[in-house]
Amino acid sequence: MMIAPNHEQKIEDFIAELAGFAQIAESTLSRIENDMDGNKGLFSIFEERMIAIRGTALQLSLPHIARIAGIGEEIAAKGAVAPARSQIRKCVGSLWDALTTVKYLLEHYSEQTGEEQEILMHRLEATLKAMGGARSAVSADEIEVLLRNRN
Amino acid sequence: MLLGDVSILVIEDVNAMRAQIKMLLKNFGFRKVAVCEDAAQASAILDTESFQLVLCDWHLGTVSGLEFLQYVRTHASHKDLGFIMVTAECTRDRVLDAIKSGVDDYLVKPLTPGQIQDKVYGVLLKRQVL
Repeated sequence: MMIAPNHEQKIEDFIAELAGFAQIAESTLSRIENDMDGNKGLFSIFEERMIAIRGTALQLSLPHIARIAGIGEEIAAKGAVAPARSQIRKCVGSLWDALTTVKYLLEHYSEQTGEEQEILMHRLEATLKAMGGARSAVSADEIEVLLRNRN
Repeated sequence: MLLGDVSILVIEDVNAMRAQIKMLLKNFGFRKVAVCEDAAQASAILDTESFQLVLCDWHLGTVSGLEFLQYVRTHASHKDLGFIMVTAECTRDRVLDAIKSGVDDYLVKPLTPGQIQDKVYGVLLKRQVL
């Protein structure tokens, strides 16, 4: 982790900023819910905020927050290309659950996930799997190989 | 060029992350480190100051880090800048997009000091800045 554990104030600053991202994600989700067909494109904003939360949570060694943000990110990506209203509705419902959990975990960031959050995460992971699973990701080592072989 | 003369621009929309990266670069001996939070600010800074390396987050709001990279690579005055993408974004397609667009290297969050140092030195050496 890049930040020394005794820099509590810096962690608090990060967390406060992440809470702001969660707020943007929440208002975005409300707009999608109000007009699922017209505002489907806003899933990308939600996805971006989840990526920011995931990246920063990883930086702070808060993997439980990174994990749920990662699920939210992937479900949002599915929502952006969902062809049917029923699928968009399913994504929106799942994202509310994911966002509520992210917000709870940000408020209690030093705690590990409880049984209730674990059940929810498994449910969201199952939902994501039913939608075709997460997109293909590459590790840092694979990126190295891709960069070396670029030409 | 001496290490202390190298100018680096950090573009990152998370305040605390931006401050951390700047502090690390300063600790490595880079004295000239500028920071900003989005592509519009970065573009304005590049037009007025000279840099050898850009560290850029992928998700910056209206204009993405990828779009900013593409702008840099097609701009006559900036096209030879070293460019490292710093992000948690590691879906295969997007990584390939960055590589096709001419990124020099890629830093995946969580960042470690050693990883940043390796990548920054690697790109500066490759670009014959150091």
